[in-house]
Amino acid sequence: MDSLQQVIAALLIALGALFFIAGTVGLLRLPDLFTRLHALTKADNLGLGLIMLGLVVQTPDVFYAVKLVLLWVLVMVSGATGAHLIAKRALRDDGEDLT
Amino acid sequence: MTTLLILFDVLLLGTLLALAFAAVLSVEPRRAVMLFIAFGLWLSLVWARMQAPDVALAEAAIGAGLGGALMLAAARRAARVRRSEANGSTMP
Amino acid sequence: MAIPTMPEFLLGAALLLLATMSAGLWRIVVGPTPPDRMMAAQLLGTSGIAVLLLLSLALEVPALLDVALIFALLAAVSVAAFTRRRVGKDQA
Repeated sequence: MDSLQQVIAALLIALGALFFIAGTVGLLRLPDLFTRLHALTKADNLGLGLIMLGLVVQTPDVFYAVKLVLLWVLVMVSGATGAHLIAKRALRDDGEDLT
Repeated sequence: MTTLLILFDVLLLGTLLALAFAAVLSVEPRRAVMLFIAFGLWLSLVWARMQAPDVALAEAAIGAGLGGALMLAAARRAARVRRSEANGSTMP
Repeated sequence: MAIPTMPEFLLGAALLLLATMSAGLWRIVVGPTPPDRMMAAQLLGTSGIAVLLLLSLALEVPALLDVALIFALLAAVSVAAFTRRRVGKDQA
């Protein structure tokens, strides 16, 4: 860990891990379902985004970096859709089980 | 590096065992299925740690994904059958 | 105390994330409602992806990136299976 590149990478990864910790604390401590969902989506998008950036900075391979970015985009899309589905379902029938 | 790896392994295996027990011992079907999905995810991490990405891939896709989705549908159907049976027996 | 090398740092970060994942499992175990459990499973999937990315560089196994892709797919599939509902009531 000596070059500037590595220091930047380490900082980004540490920040991302912080977001994940905050998301987990929110998931455990916040009072109801929608506030928890709110905490969760921040951790999903920003935490993974920062960690991904930290890894992109230090990879030598361009193909690998492109794959990392695509993975992040996929997680963002699926995470947002999933959170929306869960919230809609919970709002419509109060989390009750099924037809 | 080695100390970190040992710590990593201990945490990974301890939680895996706890998850397995929680999944087997839980009474409600949906909760058991959710714990099973989490268990499959965790086991896949264990395979990844053992540097076997192909096994981890199969575990995540088949064990947790496909199996989990099928079991969710089965749990839902079982709940519906149980409820309709209960309705039938209480009706005069 | 020596300055950690990059693989050590990555492994340490992965260990930290693994610890938060184990803490998040508590939400799956206690619930209280099924959507709560599903949300916790989603966070678990995303943290799992982060751990896999870190491990992939720390252990120098590039194929772990594909496992991470499958994890993303698994999260989407299980959420869709969970929130699915029937339109008509009377089908088997």
